[in-house]
Amino acid sequence: MKQRESLWEAYLKRGFSRRNFLKGCVALTSLMGLSSDMFNKVVEAAETKPLPVVVWIHGHECTGCDESFIRSGAPLASDVVLTSIALEYDHLLSAACGAPFEAHLDEVIQKYNGQYILAVEGAVSTKDNGIYCMSGGHTFTHLLDKAAKGAAAIIAYGSCAAYGGIQAAKPNPTGSSGIKMFVGGKPVVNVPGCPPIPEVMTGVVMHVALFGSIPPLDGDGRPKQFYGNRIHDTCYRRPFFDAGMFAETFDDAGSKAGWCLYKLGCRGPETYNSCGNLRWWQGMSYPIQSGAPCIGCANAHFWDEAPFTDRLPKYDKIGDADKIGVGLAVATTAGVVGHAVASVVQRNQRDNLLEDENHDEH
Amino acid sequence: MKSVKEVKRKEYYIFSPFLRIFHWIMVAMILVLFFTGLIITKPMNVSTTEPFFSITSIDLVRDIHFVAAFIFCASFILRIYGFIINKGDRLFPRVWEGHFYSETVEVALHYMLLKSHHASFLRNPLARMSYAALYVLVAIEILTGFAMYYMTNPSGTGGMLFGWVNVILGSEMMTHIVHHYVAWFIILFAIGHFYMVIRAEFMEGESEVSSMFSGKKVLAHVPKDANELD
Repeated sequence: MKQRESLWEAYLKRGFSRRNFLKGCVALTSLMGLSSDMFNKVVEAAETKPLPVVVWIHGHECTGCDESFIRSGAPLASDVVLTSIALEYDHLLSAACGAPFEAHLDEVIQKYNGQYILAVEGAVSTKDNGIYCMSGGHTFTHLLDKAAKGAAAIIAYGSCAAYGGIQAAKPNPTGSSGIKMFVGGKPVVNVPGCPPIPEVMTGVVMHVALFGSIPPLDGDGRPKQFYGNRIHDTCYRRPFFDAGMFAETFDDAGSKAGWCLYKLGCRGPETYNSCGNLRWWQGMSYPIQSGAPCIGCANAHFWDEAPFTDRLPKYDKIGDADKIGVGLAVATTAGVVGHAVASVVQRNQRDNLLEDENHDEH
Repeated sequence: MKSVKEVKRKEYYIFSPFLRIFHWIMVAMILVLFFTGLIITKPMNVSTTEPFFSITSIDLVRDIHFVAAFIFCASFILRIYGFIINKGDRLFPRVWEGHFYSETVEVALHYMLLKSHHASFLRNPLARMSYAALYVLVAIEILTGFAMYYMTNPSGTGGMLFGWVNVILGSEMMTHIVHHYVAWFIILFAIGHFYMVIRAEFMEGESEVSSMFSGKKVLAHVPKDANELD
């Protein structure tokens, strides 16, 4: 294996100018959600830090996160993979396969023990000793154990790796769960989303790569720069919410006019992600912009919160909590009226009895 | 039958003004919070196609909801201050006293129409239990409410103080749902409370209604806990 080079050395080798390199660093700084006064640190890191070794493993998932990752426009996913990180093992992007490939993984884990970044996509399937998710002839739990032990930091890409994902939906037949409890206390960066935004994926790995440390995290282990705001609070349709202008159905005038999708079950008010400001596909659009209410795919348990097109869960034909609430209120009122009548009857009976006793005594 | 004037009555002062003001603030705020909350969950239909002419404003309704919530929370200062200066304003039922349970059962049996009467109390133990339950419901509303309110800035102080509620409930959407459902239980409590108070006033000769205005219970009979004014 050749000497690990820094980003600057990689640029030099490819014949790029210093100016190009600095431009690249400016782009990186803003992509990672850092303020411009961090620029010097980014340049310094890019000049001196050797490219980090990344091991990228896949568990119980659909590889949709990879589909998202390879569409990152800035930085280009190819730039990240080929010049910014040393991607040593990836089920999806590697050309190699089979036994030599698996042997290479063991080699990398041993050689860079305690130094490499482990990127995990997909949930851990825990039921029945993990047989529902096999990889290279072993269970994924085995692979995760092995790979997590020597990792410097772990990035959990996607809602599966962060929270268990759609396969963890009730009744969760495979016992799927997020990876956090299965990595032996190693620091985990949660990058939820189904899939996460491409630029968020590349931004997080670049942060870890350049600074050798994990980005500032919120209470849920998500990088603050990308998950610090609700979609609702960054949504360009928010003024319609505030003004009380809502699409009532998917084909009414409000929907066509681009009004707020809150009444159609939009999960923007509960979801933390960069869809509202970064958007998707180099800022082209995001679900709400294209008229589809957010389903909260970056939230834990979003898969169990159907219906996605309503604010409140519905209970078959009975309706939602408000209908049931009105029903219970009416029933309670009827109950107290009935109780009042019964109480009066009871008191009259009691009084009659007392009167009878009084008569008997005289 | 004796006329009202001939009946000898005794005054029992139990509720301090602070408790009474708190109570009525609570009544008003629960009503405001409940109805604005319903509107926030299901905003009214818009009747205009031009934003300029929009008459409904969810922003305003939300602000009213938040202001009412803060007033409600602040009013607990009155409740606790009243408890400190006037020992009659008890915060919770005395569940550590053994007779509390037998008395609760007795009252419950009467309310289930299985017993012809129950002993009179200044502080009806079953009612006191229901108020403790109400406080639990209100506490859930406060926790879930602030958990949603402050998460506009999850790394701020409010987010730090209340963010864990969302974690315990699994997701913020669940926090919304719990907040909404518990609001309905508070309304169900209010209906029952309203009825029981009026029933106690008219059928059992307890001055339940007036005492929450005057602070005094004026009774013709001697309640079982008459010596527990403090």
